[in-house]
Amino acid sequence: MFKFDEICELIKLVAATGVAAVELDHGGSKLRIDGVPPVVFADAPSAAAAAAPRPAPAPAPGSAEAQAIADEGLHWVASPIVGTFYRAPNPDAEPYVKVGDIVREGQTLCIVEAMKLMNEIECDAAGTIVKVLPDNAQPVEYGERLFAIRPA
Amino acid sequence: MFSKVLIANRGEIAVRIIAACRELGVATVAVHSEADRECLHVKLADQSVCIGPPPSDASYLDVSSVMAAAQITGADAIHPGYGFLAENAHFAEVVGECGLTFIGPPPDAIRLMGNKAQARQSVAAAEVPVVPGSERALANRDEALDLARAIGYPVILKASAGGGGRGMRMAAGDDELRAAYDTARSEAERAFGDDSVYLEKYLVRPRHIEFQVLADSRGRIIHLGERECSIQRRHQKIMEESPSPALSPELRDEMGHAAVAAARAAKYLNAGTVEFLLAEDGSYYFMEMNTRIQVEHPVTELVTGVDLVKEQLRIAAGEPMSIPKRRQVVASGHAIEFRINAEDPNTFAPSPGKISHLSLPGGPGVRVDTHLYSGYTIPSHYDSLMAKLLVWGADRDEAIVRGRRALEMFRVEGVKTSIPLHLKILAEEDFQAGRLNTHFMDRYAQ
Repeated sequence: MFKFDEICELIKLVAATGVAAVELDHGGSKLRIDGVPPVVFADAPSAAAAAAPRPAPAPAPGSAEAQAIADEGLHWVASPIVGTFYRAPNPDAEPYVKVGDIVREGQTLCIVEAMKLMNEIECDAAGTIVKVLPDNAQPVEYGERLFAIRPA
Repeated sequence: MFSKVLIANRGEIAVRIIAACRELGVATVAVHSEADRECLHVKLADQSVCIGPPPSDASYLDVSSVMAAAQITGADAIHPGYGFLAENAHFAEVVGECGLTFIGPPPDAIRLMGNKAQARQSVAAAEVPVVPGSERALANRDEALDLARAIGYPVILKASAGGGGRGMRMAAGDDELRAAYDTARSEAERAFGDDSVYLEKYLVRPRHIEFQVLADSRGRIIHLGERECSIQRRHQKIMEESPSPALSPELRDEMGHAAVAAARAAKYLNAGTVEFLLAEDGSYYFMEMNTRIQVEHPVTELVTGVDLVKEQLRIAAGEPMSIPKRRQVVASGHAIEFRINAEDPNTFAPSPGKISHLSLPGGPGVRVDTHLYSGYTIPSHYDSLMAKLLVWGADRDEAIVRGRRALEMFRVEGVKTSIPLHLKILAEEDFQAGRLNTHFMDRYAQ
């Protein structure tokens, strides 16, 4: 039998690491916990990799030059603190924002958790979300780019 | 032993801690501000996390950012280095509450030694000599005179609310003290809005002598001999050496025992330093205890062969210190440290900038602890220490000669350095004869 605390620990672990699912078989008791949302493994960075600036996933493949032109005029929202990036207020909820959403100044975009404090990160420009850079539950550094916004 | 240590510091000491972790097979996490992306500790650590903007209060001093970095990287211990959060009892407590290990003394020992009055009381109760004086504000002039006669002239009056030399008055006899008492009070009133003053014995040309101690969780506390740090300017140490030319084996023994007693009184754990003032007549007095690894710790490492940072890690992990029980720690030879700062050697003005060329000295008996590399830009946000040059010699004379040649071989272009100042000090007859005291640097006052 799994103890209640053990199950809670596992749920936390799944949420924190962003793995797709954990399955356990312990003395005949079976347990499966699915992570939400599922993570694309090819893009799952380690905490170490997070230190380097990561290329933004471009909607269509193009040259670096084309990318630079596409990035021109974009407003970047950077993380004001080091911590863990969450796109939604809780694992069951919809993300605060998605690519294509129109956002206004002061709107909550995501949460960065530091020392168990959920810090709501607000939008500092009005426009359209064109990119969400970190994956859910990924560690982010101070100053790391979180969102790209095409200003209205 | 820990599996991953986060280093809550920067520069040369962060590099030094990474070296110790590597030798023990422990993974490292560097934290850094935006101004330190190119700093060597970031390049050498296994992982790095940017924790804030350049000002230290928003990065290296920000407890929650440091803790968040430890959490996202899965570190199981934090080494604070020196400065920044190293002597912050609250930080040590938070680290423990988050289930991580603070590589340093317990929060209570940090707090006790951080409070001058409590530290003085606690070591005095352990029969460690403290500077004789009134301890609290004097009621009137007669109390001052009675006390001064009892402890012996000269004495110094200090503002209770003071610091930085203001409201301080020296007196060599009754008449001087009568006049000084009124002046000190009115000065204290003007400077701090509080005219209370206290009185202490004034030490003429004292030496700064400190003892390195190590305490492990098995209840073992030892000292590893002294460092003489009398060459200082505005309480900033410039050169340190071990052994001190002023200590006889008997005095070393006695002061070493006092240092161990002071550490025991604080229920101390890990590495620490007990600082004393040594008067010309051989009497010595407890000044304070530094509850951290110190800048000048390699001086002790060179003469004892003990790696103090590795001992810190072992002790914090609950292991006994690695020094065999029956072996007395014996110092051999003589070591000197030169703090190389990015500053003008005459005006002491900081000189941040880009290192265009760097060539470090080497050869027998030379050690350099540094985060410098060619092309590195020294930021203006932090202290100006850019390297510690250490030399070891079979005796003091050899260490001095070796120090001179190593300073001459230390080539750095792009910023001004304190190397010429060190060469000037080494050439002083007083220095060569070991005639040191805390006023040594006054001779260069402008």
